[in-house]
Amino acid sequence: MEFSNKEKGLIASLGVTLLVFGWYFYGSFTNLRLSAEPPGLVEFIILIVLIAVLESIIQVFVSFKNNSQLADERDKLIEKVSYRYSYWVLSACIWFYMGHILLNTWFDHLPNLTTPGGVFHLLLLFFVLAEVTHFLTQLYYYRKGF
Amino acid sequence: MSQQTLAEKVGVTRQTIIAIEKDRYSPSLEVAFKISNEFGIPLEAVFNYN
Repeated sequence: MEFSNKEKGLIASLGVTLLVFGWYFYGSFTNLRLSAEPPGLVEFIILIVLIAVLESIIQVFVSFKNNSQLADERDKLIEKVSYRYSYWVLSACIWFYMGHILLNTWFDHLPNLTTPGGVFHLLLLFFVLAEVTHFLTQLYYYRKGF
Repeated sequence: MSQQTLAEKVGVTRQTIIAIEKDRYSPSLEVAFKISNEFGIPLEAVFNYN
């Protein structure tokens, strides 16, 4: 199976996002930090900078091998559609969380995710899910056609 | 004419030309007209609607 440079860049970005945030969420959710205080700002900034640097390195490496990395009408169309799916996922997650907050006020046995640390991690997870959807949708349309 | 040359003349990436050839992307009218102009033949000789 042959991948274009655009697809390789997307796969690399997806891999970096899943790896870094997967590691972060694994540590966050398994160490029961949901009930703890929100993570430090420095820790969060380091994570975001790490992802930005890794993605930039990958993009430079990919564009070094391909001179024509400018987005044309097909790229813009695929990006627009993928952002639409990404928005749906983000909306669904937010509605799910709002529902959970409501149910939490009615049923006491549900896990409490409304602590400051829990809210922070969940909102971050929703954004990451939306970003992963953005990457996956782009890959799908580049592979299957539009 | 190579795919890269056509892509540069039309103003799209080579991947888009490949996608059009493989029937995986329907170009805009602007790009379709540019492609037919490059070949010097009518639009309906290059593209058809199924």
